[in-house]
Amino acid sequence: MAQALPKTEVPQAYMDLRAFLAVLEAEGQLVRVKEEVDPEEIGAAGRASADLPNGPAVMFEKVRGYRNPVVTNVHGSWANHALMMGMPRDTPTKAQFLELSRRWDLYPVPPERVEDAPFKQNFVDRDINLFDIISLYRINTYDAGCFLSKACIVSADPEDPKSYAKTNLGTYRMQVKGKDRLGIQALPFHDLGLQLAKAEALNRPVPLAICLGCDPITTFMASTPIRYDQNEYDYVGALNNGVPMRITKAPTLDLEVPAGCEICIEGYIEPRVREVEGPFGEFPGSYSGARLQAVVRVTSISYRDNPIFENLYLGIPWSEIDYLMALNTSVPLYKMLKETFPEVEAVNAMYTHGIGVIVSTKVRFGGFGKAVAMRLLSTPHGMAYSKIIIIVDEFVDPFNLAQVMWAMTTRVDPDKDVSIIKNCPGMPLDPSSNPPGMHNKMIIDATTPKAPEIVSRETELLTPPAGTAKWAAIIAGLVRQARD
Amino acid sequence: MICPRCDTDKVDVMVQSPVGHVWEMYLCHTCAYTWRSTETPDKTDPARYNPHFKIKAGEIGQMLVIPPIVPLA
Repeated sequence: MAQALPKTEVPQAYMDLRAFLAVLEAEGQLVRVKEEVDPEEIGAAGRASADLPNGPAVMFEKVRGYRNPVVTNVHGSWANHALMMGMPRDTPTKAQFLELSRRWDLYPVPPERVEDAPFKQNFVDRDINLFDIISLYRINTYDAGCFLSKACIVSADPEDPKSYAKTNLGTYRMQVKGKDRLGIQALPFHDLGLQLAKAEALNRPVPLAICLGCDPITTFMASTPIRYDQNEYDYVGALNNGVPMRITKAPTLDLEVPAGCEICIEGYIEPRVREVEGPFGEFPGSYSGARLQAVVRVTSISYRDNPIFENLYLGIPWSEIDYLMALNTSVPLYKMLKETFPEVEAVNAMYTHGIGVIVSTKVRFGGFGKAVAMRLLSTPHGMAYSKIIIIVDEFVDPFNLAQVMWAMTTRVDPDKDVSIIKNCPGMPLDPSSNPPGMHNKMIIDATTPKAPEIVSRETELLTPPAGTAKWAAIIAGLVRQARD
Repeated sequence: MICPRCDTDKVDVMVQSPVGHVWEMYLCHTCAYTWRSTETPDKTDPARYNPHFKIKAGEIGQMLVIPPIVPLA
């Protein structure tokens, strides 16, 4: 059951995308392009906005040849990320991590079930044409076509289809291959990949509800790695600081979907069918290859009046996707490590969806840092994604790269502190994964050596001299005077 | 019409712009590449398509299958 809400100053919970866009606009974190634009300019605008300090969301009101608007870069800055959580826009990253970590423990907050939902205003199940409703566009130059890069996809376990716990909400890239046909990337270690394997063993389709333009925490949660038997909706309520999200029955399928979405596409993965999919410019900052991947047949589309198509740009980090999967990769890994190793202080898994991870931990005895890294590599997400793991002492802030580099340069003896673990599961989209899907892992133990490891020299850390705080205030005052 | 990516001719009009007749999009049935009539030649012209991203129709059967298709139960 949901726990009582702690008293905090963060009451904000958005029931749909439009409520969040209104707050972004009021905070100066959403801009509108009122002039008509060519569809293929939207990707460039997403790149450009993500390059700005605290880049805004960008709403395109008129897209040439289409009926409906597009919004991009909705999650694409730390300011937008903070506002998503109902926090002040200038909240530091580590403070957002700590708040997210606190809310994580409110899980589960079950959703509220509602009959009606705005996306049920319009329904099409004949002569389906995705382009009539969604202003689709190519994101990067050599993408194989138009892609949905931010869809929240709902699917059930084929062997246990009534199970709420095993119902999955995930984001998987989708290539538009026709008016009613999509490609989908479901990798074997993803929850959807697991469901697809179960269904294909029985030669059955996998029904899907593809929800576009959800409230920001639902979209955030769809790209968050959690256990297979945990329902993402229960986490959305937790991350909304205890406010339940609203879900509703999908129009034709036996699935429950986010009630606040702009567009709900229903369909199914055709069993045992693969077609060319990709390339697609992916989150590691390079194009994926073209592969034979699964195919979705669309059977209906439901949508709000004037539906907004929310999509993201992804390219060389940082772009919107890096914000969308930064702290929601860090916090679950932190929680999983903490269960076994309460000594762990914080986890920064913000680098390329956790391919690079920095963990700060207290060290109880020699080799402890390496053991923590091994645990990370045995978590469901860390197993495939994480490749370079840096372990630092508890007094090093893993979100402060200057401190992390200090720890690396002054604590690491490359001969004993760098370990390579060969032939492990890997992330195939990482271009260094060879063959795709396999990794060699590297652990860098940058913690201070402890017995029984041989401690060749005692290390006495410098501390700020007495009066440092006083002088910080004096100097800051002098700087202000000089400016005035 | 020839697919800019795989140079085969199994190409159809996939869709016309829902508003006005300002563009149409094409679909290659061999390699599933799609493109819009208003895009730049590096995306629409077989002769100017980046050679690195070209696909030979004969290579398609050799591509990695993701995820692999499991045996029937």
